[in-house]
Amino acid sequence: MRKLAVFLTCALLFVAQAYAQTARTVTGKVTDDKGAPLSGVTVSAVGANKNALTDNGGNFSIQVTEKVRTLRISYVGFDSKDVSINGLSSVNVGLSQEDKSLSEVVVVGYGTQKRKDLTGSVASVKGEALANKPTQSFEQALGGRAAGVQVVIPSGVLNAPPVLRIRGTNSISLSSYPLIVVDGVAVFTGDGSSTSAAGNVLSSINPNDIESVDVAKDAAATAIYGSRAANGVLFITTKKGKPGRSKVTVDSWVGISNPQRLQKVLDAQQYTDYKNEALRNAGTFNAATNAFATTLGADGKIINTNWADIVYRQGIQHSNTISLSGANESTNYYFSAGYTEQQGIIRRNDFKRLSLLMNIDHKAGKFFTMGGKIQYTSDQNTAATSSGSLGDAFATAGMGRVALITAPNVGPYLADGSYNRVNNLIGVMGNKLGQVGFYNPQIALDLNRSNSYGEHFISNVYAQFKPTNWLAIRTQYGLDYLMVDNDFFSHPISGEGFATTGSATAIFNKNKRWVWTTTAQFDKVFAEKHTVSALVGIEHQKSDNNSYGLNRVTVSDPAFTNIQGGWATPNTSGLGIGENYLYSEFARAQYNYNRKYFLTANVRRDGASQLGANSKYGTFWGVSASWDVLTEKFIQNMKLDQVFSSLRLRASYGKVGNIGGLGNFASLSSYSSGLYGGFATVAYGQAGNPNLTWETSKKTDVGLNFGLFNDRLTAEIGYYNSNNDGLLLFVPQPPSAGLPSNIPTNIGSMYNRGFEFDIKYNVVQKKDFSWSTSFNLSTNDNKVLSLAPGINNIISSTGGLENPSITLPGYPIGMLFVTRTAGVDPATGRRIFINNQGRQVFFQHVAPSGQARFMYADGTTAPTVSSADAIVYKNTNAKIFGGWENNLRFKNFELNALFTYQMGNWLYYGTQAGLRDQRFWNNEVGVLNRWQKPGDVTEFPKPVFGDNVSNGSAFPLDINVFKGDFVKLRTLTVGYNLPKTLLDKAKISNARFYVSGNNLLIITKYPGPDPEVSSNGNGTTNFGIDRNTVANQRTITIGLNVGF
Amino acid sequence: MKKNLIYVLMAAGLVQLSSCAKENFVNPVPTNVISDLTAFDSKDRIEGQVRSIYASIKNAGMYGGRYQIFNDIRGGDFMNDRTNVVTGFDVWNYTPSNSSTNSVQNHWSRAYYVINLSNVFLDGMAAKGTAVVGATISNNYQAEARLLRAMSYYSLLQLYARPFWDGNGSKPGVPLRLKGNTGSDNYALARATVAEVYTQILADLNFAETNLPTTNSSAINNTTRAHRNTAIALKTRVYLSMRRYADVITEANKIVSANAPFTATSGVAHALQSDVTNVFKAPYTTTESIFSMPFASNEAPGGQNQLGYYYGPAAFNGGNGEYSLLSTGIVSNAGWKTTDRRRAMVGVYGGKSYLTKYSVPSIFTDYAPVIRYAEVLLNLAEARVRSTNTVDAQAIALLNAVRGRSDASTVFTAADFANSDALANAILTERRIELLGEGLAGTDLTRLGLPLPAKPGVAAIAATAQQYIWPISSSELLLNPLCTDN
Repeated sequence: MRKLAVFLTCALLFVAQAYAQTARTVTGKVTDDKGAPLSGVTVSAVGANKNALTDNGGNFSIQVTEKVRTLRISYVGFDSKDVSINGLSSVNVGLSQEDKSLSEVVVVGYGTQKRKDLTGSVASVKGEALANKPTQSFEQALGGRAAGVQVVIPSGVLNAPPVLRIRGTNSISLSSYPLIVVDGVAVFTGDGSSTSAAGNVLSSINPNDIESVDVAKDAAATAIYGSRAANGVLFITTKKGKPGRSKVTVDSWVGISNPQRLQKVLDAQQYTDYKNEALRNAGTFNAATNAFATTLGADGKIINTNWADIVYRQGIQHSNTISLSGANESTNYYFSAGYTEQQGIIRRNDFKRLSLLMNIDHKAGKFFTMGGKIQYTSDQNTAATSSGSLGDAFATAGMGRVALITAPNVGPYLADGSYNRVNNLIGVMGNKLGQVGFYNPQIALDLNRSNSYGEHFISNVYAQFKPTNWLAIRTQYGLDYLMVDNDFFSHPISGEGFATTGSATAIFNKNKRWVWTTTAQFDKVFAEKHTVSALVGIEHQKSDNNSYGLNRVTVSDPAFTNIQGGWATPNTSGLGIGENYLYSEFARAQYNYNRKYFLTANVRRDGASQLGANSKYGTFWGVSASWDVLTEKFIQNMKLDQVFSSLRLRASYGKVGNIGGLGNFASLSSYSSGLYGGFATVAYGQAGNPNLTWETSKKTDVGLNFGLFNDRLTAEIGYYNSNNDGLLLFVPQPPSAGLPSNIPTNIGSMYNRGFEFDIKYNVVQKKDFSWSTSFNLSTNDNKVLSLAPGINNIISSTGGLENPSITLPGYPIGMLFVTRTAGVDPATGRRIFINNQGRQVFFQHVAPSGQARFMYADGTTAPTVSSADAIVYKNTNAKIFGGWENNLRFKNFELNALFTYQMGNWLYYGTQAGLRDQRFWNNEVGVLNRWQKPGDVTEFPKPVFGDNVSNGSAFPLDINVFKGDFVKLRTLTVGYNLPKTLLDKAKISNARFYVSGNNLLIITKYPGPDPEVSSNGNGTTNFGIDRNTVANQRTITIGLNVGF
Repeated sequence: MKKNLIYVLMAAGLVQLSSCAKENFVNPVPTNVISDLTAFDSKDRIEGQVRSIYASIKNAGMYGGRYQIFNDIRGGDFMNDRTNVVTGFDVWNYTPSNSSTNSVQNHWSRAYYVINLSNVFLDGMAAKGTAVVGATISNNYQAEARLLRAMSYYSLLQLYARPFWDGNGSKPGVPLRLKGNTGSDNYALARATVAEVYTQILADLNFAETNLPTTNSSAINNTTRAHRNTAIALKTRVYLSMRRYADVITEANKIVSANAPFTATSGVAHALQSDVTNVFKAPYTTTESIFSMPFASNEAPGGQNQLGYYYGPAAFNGGNGEYSLLSTGIVSNAGWKTTDRRRAMVGVYGGKSYLTKYSVPSIFTDYAPVIRYAEVLLNLAEARVRSTNTVDAQAIALLNAVRGRSDASTVFTAADFANSDALANAILTERRIELLGEGLAGTDLTRLGLPLPAKPGVAAIAATAQQYIWPISSSELLLNPLCTDN
């Protein structure tokens, strides 16, 4: 009803505004500064709301009333010009190309602003930088392109949400992911898939449809988003039609990707010999009953399987987008369709996306504009089974893990061509042991499914009423509907499905959000020097989630591969229901004096349903100022304006919040239901907190922008300081307190501080040759200041099995927490640990009689060394990161190279513990340098079969911690633009071919495949872990962009 | 200017139109859980809470499987074939550390979760629940909660504390908590002594004996919910652990008749079944099963918690064959004849012997036995021998009752035993055969101060050694500054 009322009011006013006029016609021609005609130029009669467009010859004709004295000629990319038509019936106008730095517009939340007028810190990335990349979602390509923005691709699994941080990690328990606002609607983020195939919901946006990404970093820029702004805000603006002839573009690329830097493991013979030596060292070798042995294959050769060849592959990708766009004086439109198919480097891990987007804006008469967008995306994320890379590092048969540790002396198939398996495990073939691997990955790769299919709508409709040039009233209704179908199947002969005689699960997950925003914007200049604008608004955001599913086990016939067939049990699966609501009132006021001093204030009051009954509402704000130094007389007197072409100072301070990732009912204490002996139970299941509230981030930002050589060199230097208080901690109580859950409490504090440098330099700008380079560097100093009273630290697990991470006051978040070692005893080959007393403890897995497993150097028995002896070891947060981009053009050739780098962080390479585990697991080739006889000096202890302690499987060790410093050639693109002469003949406006490489080069000392990795995804306190992670890929693409 | 004012008013009006937070959206009520404010409002909810304590002591691998397995594999009758710490490799080779998630940490937190559920329930009954259900039913329910609390404390003492005999209970036990915890608080608490915790366990079981119904309504409820004889049977186990043999006899005599056939003459009529294998088959509710944890396809034991998954080889029931029967263990006992009915619950697959007592294939829904009448008879027999230090005639009769029902060809007589030790050892051997895979091997060693036996690749652990008991959970040590490690 309310919406209808808005529309009716607007419509009535429109009708009332008509009045009479007498007309005359003015004609003319618009050219650029070289005299070439410009088509699609807007010619408007000043004071009369009358417009015309130039034709292909640059000619226009416009009817104006007598009282119109001036025409305004405006065209995208050119400076607007006002032309007097006093007594003239014909005018010719030359437009000059505008200085881009002056006109650049950035999105600031419920509006846009000229970059020059900004008082906050906003970095912008153009759509071209993100388009046509072998990525699934746009934010995967953001890394290195903007200061303060850090992106880590967690693994080689397609479409995993990248670890995305703006100015460091700002939360401990809640999300540190920025708020994503697409065309004014805050959208869902994260992994929408429940399966082993990742499903980043932002991949629904075709990167080729993106016009720009504006990254709001400080409180001034983000405060308008109040309780959700602490992690920064990313404004995504999709493409709109541009004035001029309608345009068709086609973008296509195909590519291949390969795994890179895979670990080298033992071959069949090496494995067999080495493991037998370990059995002998353990005293349990028995050639008949307890020994490793090779097996001859059908070809008469020893079976020698490189399991990486079974698990990984060369992936092929292609992507195609076609768009149609255009605009005239009343309507602009953009329509696109995209389809991409991408194969990952893990077999059966595929991504497909069909995307449709329509943006349309229509000006109906003088005051009224309506428009909207419809985006529909259908995506498929598919996988055979767990990769072990999406937080499930210890999945029994995670692909990243089985590729490394399965015995190389057995194969995927038996001689008769059937699968090599004994029940759920891979068969041992000639080995005289019970187990030489986990599941046979070939079976899962052939027969299992773990797929998710998404249907995603992001749409909005708006109406704007602008009765005068100083007031605009706008209301927008946006929606984000995400429907995900999760489809699992484990075949009864696969390891995953054997125990249950097959298993099929389907889970449907429905997420619906609507956002209704109403704003009024006032803009007015008083006395020529006082520019004032103000915004007030109201917003409702309601989100509902409902998910349900069925898990069926014990299949009656292997022909049934989904939940519909013959199965024994119909259990529920994936049940979930929830809702949340955010109600907001916000305002912004801006003032500048003579474009010299700029002031902005933002305020927002949010009420969030997730918060405790006593604390649902909060007020957030930001104030900021900037100063255009060069406009000052005294500066000009100092002749600084002859050194600098621009010079601005800015500063901001504000208080914003974070509730991202907070459970819908986290504040409530509740009892949940279950069964006992078939009867209903009601169990105390959640301990709540009625005072639960948002996390607070107080942000300070100062910055200096300057330009030299007529802005050929521009630079920005900034400093930020975020003091985060009231950080939500699920405060762990002593386990003996017996609480059903850790109570969410606003108690922690942490800061992020750092500098940002961003330099752009147009080194050469000639007709045939140009070179521009940009470099950015960000520093981040993160420190946890306090946790909860009585909580000395938070230990975080990886894959639920080991605890290599600790967060504690005085240190950056997510420190590595490992037990120290002191090498290998050259006399005995025993691992030397350093226990929490600082004493060396010698460990042998099998102790001869009279000795202990753990002994001091003097031969006395030592207490067992474990993770209780761990120390706070190394920082996992990069201290310095950034990117360096170069664009070169020579005649029709162009070259773009982006390097990214990171320094000062450490990684726990837990995979290495597995690669040196002395159970049946295959080992890295390094173990060939093991200790064999007294006097051997080596880092590899004497192998003793069954030893999972010496190398870090039982508890994390310092020997598996490495520096994560790297420099990567992230992308390298060489392009060729077809010459204009050829294009004109073919009647196309532009055509470009290119070859591009992603991840071509990594310079690092890190021993794993890739130092840019995160086993725990976006986890904040367990970052910097590489445990059984699938390696990242290297991709080469060739592509074509054509415009008609 | 007047027009401007109109515009401003209009803008204000429009904004106003869409304003006002929607109250029912701001304060949503979850539809899939029940608020703590109304948890004690009806008899159904209150009884649901009682059942939830049972479900919790069963779930996530406490008495539903893991506790039994931990105690089985601390003995000498099982061989670890999977070297997997998730399924107890470190428990089997006596090396669990403070941070061993799947054993030391999880059992600790699960047991205390049950304890707190009981405490929250008892507090809630005092505050509100008793008024809702009336005093009689309230006492029944409170007795059940206290019995389950006692079982949890007992399980903690067996794994994390020195046995009672060491210093007569003076060694550190576990933190003793008797008040419900629901919010943030200072929960630092030192360990009570072993004796103090046993005193509480006995107080709870005595309360339970007094206040539990003598019988529940059905066979299934007599097996899965506590009744008076459940409390008595558990007391025979607890007193045996404390070496208070006279008390074992007193308690056992309440539910064991003086002469064969031994049966419980009051309350639920517990008796040995003629065929022991029937006890481990559906419906699992014979009068021999004093207390068992029920499972069903929609009430699954959960991954890597199931007895059948650990002990059954794939070829038998699709289990993972985590543990075979150690060839040097009880399976090779010469006195355990091939004709013994209990040999029907041992199978040979791939050259190894496996315990096949738990036969239901995935999802392994065999009931997990907690206490059986056969154990009570053997508890009584052993207590008689050890309290009298004689070759006790009733002890032999009880031993024969257990042996004879599965192996009629073997009848022990006093002449078979040179002295009381020989008879006691015969009873212990009988326990290893009869109760194999039911979670008593470890405690039968520790209560007697016997070393944890050597196994392939694992040295024996003397009763005085640090590894004789588990270390304390590292999470507890971190978060409870008053708690000390073993």
